[in-house]
Amino acid sequence: MDSYNLFNILGLASIFTIIALAIVVAAKIEKTNQLQASVDKLKKSLEEMDEQAKLIVRTDIELNKIQEELDKKISSLYALQRLSRAVSTTLEETQIFMSVQRTNLEDIGFEKAAAFLWSNKEQRFRLCLNIGYEQEELNLIVSNLKSYTEYCLKLIKQAKAISSISLQDMTIKARINELFKVSYFVLSPILSKEGDNGFLFVGTDSTDTVLTEGDEELVTILANEIGQALENARLFDKTWLAQQELEKKVEERTKELSEALEQIKEVSKRKTDFISAVSHELRTPLTSIKGYASILLSEKLGQIPDAVKQRLDKINRHSDELTHLVNDLLDISRIESGKIIMKQEAQDLKEIIEVTTDLMSVQLKAKDIKLDVVLAQDAPRIEADRNQIERVFINLLGNAAKFTPEKGTITITTASTDGFVKIDVSDTGIGIPKEAQEAIFDEFYRVDNEINQQVKGTGLGLSLVKHIVEAHKGKIWVKSKPGEGTTFSFTFPKA
Amino acid sequence: MKIGVGVSTQKNVASAAREIWDQAKSKIGKETIDLAILFTSVDLSTNSLLKVIKNNLGGSPLAGCSSQAIITNHGILRHAAALVLINCQGIDISAASIENIKARTALTAGEELGNKLLQGFRGSHRELGMFFCDGLIEEGSQLILGLQERLGRSFPIAGASASDNLNYYKTYLYFNREVISDAAVGILWGGKLKFGLGIRHGWKPLGKHRTVTKSYSNVIEKIDGKPAVSIYQDYFAKDTAELRKDLKYISTLYPIGIYLEGETEYLLRNILSIGDNGSLICQGDISVGSQIRLMIGTKESCLAAARQAVLDAKKGLAISRLGLEKKGSAADIVFVFDSASRYSLLKRNADQELRTIKEALQEEVPIVGFYTYGEQAPLKSINYHGQAHFHNQTVSILALGG
Repeated sequence: MDSYNLFNILGLASIFTIIALAIVVAAKIEKTNQLQASVDKLKKSLEEMDEQAKLIVRTDIELNKIQEELDKKISSLYALQRLSRAVSTTLEETQIFMSVQRTNLEDIGFEKAAAFLWSNKEQRFRLCLNIGYEQEELNLIVSNLKSYTEYCLKLIKQAKAISSISLQDMTIKARINELFKVSYFVLSPILSKEGDNGFLFVGTDSTDTVLTEGDEELVTILANEIGQALENARLFDKTWLAQQELEKKVEERTKELSEALEQIKEVSKRKTDFISAVSHELRTPLTSIKGYASILLSEKLGQIPDAVKQRLDKINRHSDELTHLVNDLLDISRIESGKIIMKQEAQDLKEIIEVTTDLMSVQLKAKDIKLDVVLAQDAPRIEADRNQIERVFINLLGNAAKFTPEKGTITITTASTDGFVKIDVSDTGIGIPKEAQEAIFDEFYRVDNEINQQVKGTGLGLSLVKHIVEAHKGKIWVKSKPGEGTTFSFTFPKA
Repeated sequence: MKIGVGVSTQKNVASAAREIWDQAKSKIGKETIDLAILFTSVDLSTNSLLKVIKNNLGGSPLAGCSSQAIITNHGILRHAAALVLINCQGIDISAASIENIKARTALTAGEELGNKLLQGFRGSHRELGMFFCDGLIEEGSQLILGLQERLGRSFPIAGASASDNLNYYKTYLYFNREVISDAAVGILWGGKLKFGLGIRHGWKPLGKHRTVTKSYSNVIEKIDGKPAVSIYQDYFAKDTAELRKDLKYISTLYPIGIYLEGETEYLLRNILSIGDNGSLICQGDISVGSQIRLMIGTKESCLAAARQAVLDAKKGLAISRLGLEKKGSAADIVFVFDSASRYSLLKRNADQELRTIKEALQEEVPIVGFYTYGEQAPLKSINYHGQAHFHNQTVSILALGG
């Protein structure tokens, strides 16, 4: 019984144990399943995260590329601006190419550059710029470039840029890479309306470089800037040469004129000296002639017949005229040579006019010529040599009276100008032809007219007047219309 | 330590040589010159430049290399030479070079360079190994490993690979009068030298972890059992031909990051090329089992990394001076070894990175450096026992002081 009970108890315990174990196992399985589900979930999350990471990386690389391209463009534009400024502010061909500096070139992503200009005269490409090449490499490039002359000239003619990305011909591309020892390049024509054209080559041997269309545009802009700068430089050269030529001519002409002037001065001095010497020599015999004629006329040496008297009068009169002429000539030459010093003092113009018109009154009355004097109310005093200014008035009034017909009018007008007094002596005479107006102040010049043919004159009066006025730092000029009258205007400094 | 720095941007080699020498010499004055370090752009990598300097330098060693651009206080200069003349004042140095690396294994070459440096070192206490190598050597990591076999597995090594104009055509090392390639140059520093090193890149991981299932040296053949290139194919939805075309660009922006336990940043690997079997040929080694992720960076994160690298270097220098008379983080000279990929990525902002470095330094100190095809520096975490690694895309700041 006991063993039966024990068996039953054990049996029951076993059953409970089995049930308990089954429950535990079931719970464990459940837990494991739950854990597995969590692991799966985590794995899935990790995979999802990894997928997200892929998206992030792909977006990031695109953004980086865009950013990099943007950075490159900004940096290149800055470099281009610096280069353009340097190139465009230069007016000398060699300097233009020298202003393309290695650092600026590197900023636009290239470390090698060469520029060539085609010389029509020499029928070859002339090297103008070298950055990054050793002399040996350069010699090789220059030598091998001959094989590509036609190709390069065609590009220049077509104004077409080529680059590693735009050039479709792989053979040419490989040859250019080999010739210039680069991995990537841009070649752009340098075009100038003046003088030689050529091309700019830039390249890099870095395989790290990513060449874009923007690079090609950038180099084209630079080549255009160089072309424009060359054009400006050549135009400047032309203008400069023309200016130099002009300056040289002006200099030569000035020299010639100076020499001519010196010669004229020398001739004039000789003439003055001659006139002065001759006048002096003439005066002495003239004085004697006049003296002897006067003695004979006085009949102190005995009576003389009327016919002789008449001849002696003529001798006397002609001697006076000759003395007058000699004196005028002497005065002119003295003024010219500066031997006469103008005693400049303050003079009352009104008084001078009164004195001189009074001297002329007989002559004026004889032809019934009216004399008007219009003095400026505030007529200032003038700075002049009294004797000389009187000669000016006498000469001008004498001329006016001589050439003004009967019942004509002579007018003297004064006006004040800046630092000077202007005096006009006008008449209603026969006037002076236009072509003679310039010459009337020349020595011995006499206008060809009826009056001059009838009345004698030396042709020295106006010349003397001009010399006197100019010796006072004044000016004299004439306005005249044949048949209407003449106005002589002259200035004297204010006192 | 007394420093004289000369910088020239003259195109003419003789003029540039004279200018850098005169400038540097005038700053160092009458002090003895114990060491000259020279970095130049590729166009100035000539024996004649070295000859001028070495003739003036006398028996003291000259070491350096070529680069895409030179980093100086005056800015980033693409055609330039920078010369650093050093008067050691209690600092011991030894310099050596190793050539014909490809003719032997990189590991052996590294060991030989280590031996030469140790043989020439007269001091009792070694502090730092400075190292420049040809940027086109594929097994750069092995070279460092060999060097550390001799100088000590935990011995700090900071260096960089020479570069050219991103052509990956030829890079140059300078040692005394010789311009050499397929070579490495090392300087062993000791005695009173104190230094701080900061190295950062700023790239962040993206997407899920993947495991390198087959690789050797700098070649990843399989990732998660699939051809390695599939990681880029998946992420960029491009086939291999398209990837090859854009590889330099994609690899710079989105390198592979190796997860390193305890490190703040992943160790980056640039992809140099894609193999015919779909393998990825990296700039630096990568081992089987490495946990890798695709990395993503921005200009901002790059600049932030540069700032942090300077702070790390300053902190390191200050720590190394603890207990000494001379305290603080003020350096006598700061060397900047900056990845050429970063220059390529930052472009116009490269100047901004230099400004960031200057601002973070907070003091007027000579800055000289160059753009590299790889940087060498120890990992920070204690797990790696100070072992130097080959880095990509980092900016490495080495602050030296007495």
